[in-house]
This record gives sequence, C-alpha cells and structure tokens, in this order.
Amino acid sequence: MDQPEHKALLEKALHFPDGLPGLPELEHFVIVELREDGAFQQLQSLDNVDVSMIVCVPWLFFPEYAPVLSDIEQTELDLETADDAVLFVPVSIDTESRQMFLNLLGPFVVNAKTKVGRQLVLTGTEYTTRTLIELPVV
Amino acid sequence: MLVLTRRPGESIVVGQNIVITVIEIKGGQVRIGIDAPREIDVYREEIYEQVRQENLAAIANVDEIRKAVQDRAVEDSSDA
Repeated sequence: MDQPEHKALLEKALHFPDGLPGLPELEHFVIVELREDGAFQQLQSLDNVDVSMIVCVPWLFFPEYAPVLSDIEQTELDLETADDAVLFVPVSIDTESRQMFLNLLGPFVVNAKTKVGRQLVLTGTEYTTRTLIELPVV
Repeated sequence: MLVLTRRPGESIVVGQNIVITVIEIKGGQVRIGIDAPREIDVYREEIYEQVRQENLAAIANVDEIRKAVQDRAVEDSSDA
C-alpha cells in the first residue's frame, strides 16, 4: 500500500489507544461490512493485515443486552451521550460443534465522532464471553 | 514475585499512587480494596484472561467465522 492510500485509510480508521486484550500493539482498525443486511462486520487491523475478527451489533440477537460503562470509561472515550457510542461484540465459533457465540463480556465501544474506542472488560455482570446464538444454515 | 504478609486493615503501596488494602479475610476469601488513578484499569485476572483468550480464538478462526456468518440466516429478534 502506498503512503497516501494508507493515510486515507487511517483517517477513517478506528483508534484503540490501548490495543486489545491480548494484542496491545494493535491500535488501528477499519470496519468492513460482510453482508447486505449489515448483520456482521469484519474488524480489520491496519497494523497487522493478518489480524481481523468478526463482530456484530449484539441487539440483533439480544435485545435486552445492556452493558454498563463506568464513569472512567465514558470519560476516556469522551462520551457525553449514549448516541455518540457505537457498540459491537466479537463473534466466535466452536470449531467442532459449529455453534456460534457472541462475546457479551468484552464489547467494543467507539465514539462515533472521534473514532476512538476500546474493548471493555465488563465487571459486576452476568454476561459471558461465550453466549450461544442461533444462526441457522440456509 | 514479591511476597508480603498483611493483616486486615493493612495496605501495600505500589509506586506513587496505588494503594492496595486487605479489608477482610473470611472463609478462604480475601476482600481487597484498591485505590488507583482513574487511568489505571483494574480487572479480576480470570475475567480479563477470558476476554484475551476469546480474542485470540476469534482471530485464529476468523476465516471459518466469516464463512459461517455469510452463509447463515439471521432472524432479527429485536422486533419479537
């Protein structure tokens, strides 16, 4: 990738100043839509092209999902209102059973205005990293 | 690893501004209070580790997950 192109990508990119748990060195990501209905996206690292994960908006599957951000997290992300926040969660698979899960314990929250985000590790919650979703094969 | 013995009510100071206090010891459990600056994240180790492991698995299996989510039907339960 040449320089101007990379710069253009970075301007649209999400910035996670702390990286991700397990991957602290990866700070810059882009979101790529995977389906026409917008149900799933790919969170692609710009710092390492080999690193990406599939994410989705959890409310499609769990309308009641209500993660609570601490004051600290809201301040760090400069979130004045909930409307400024974009939230998505990692999707995983059991490679044997083929069952699929959402990680409701580790949601990504991004400030839509500043594009700054972080992956939270929720505390004091019943949410788990492996919450089964029904995704019928068509 | 530095190992210290503390009694309930006693503390450990880490650096300039982190204070860890043993609050209570009861039935094999220890309640600990942590005073740290806002920018310091404090997690239960096993919870943070779960999220870390789940990230690594989600990245390792990304091709399989991408194929699965592209192939399958999503029933929108938010209208239900």
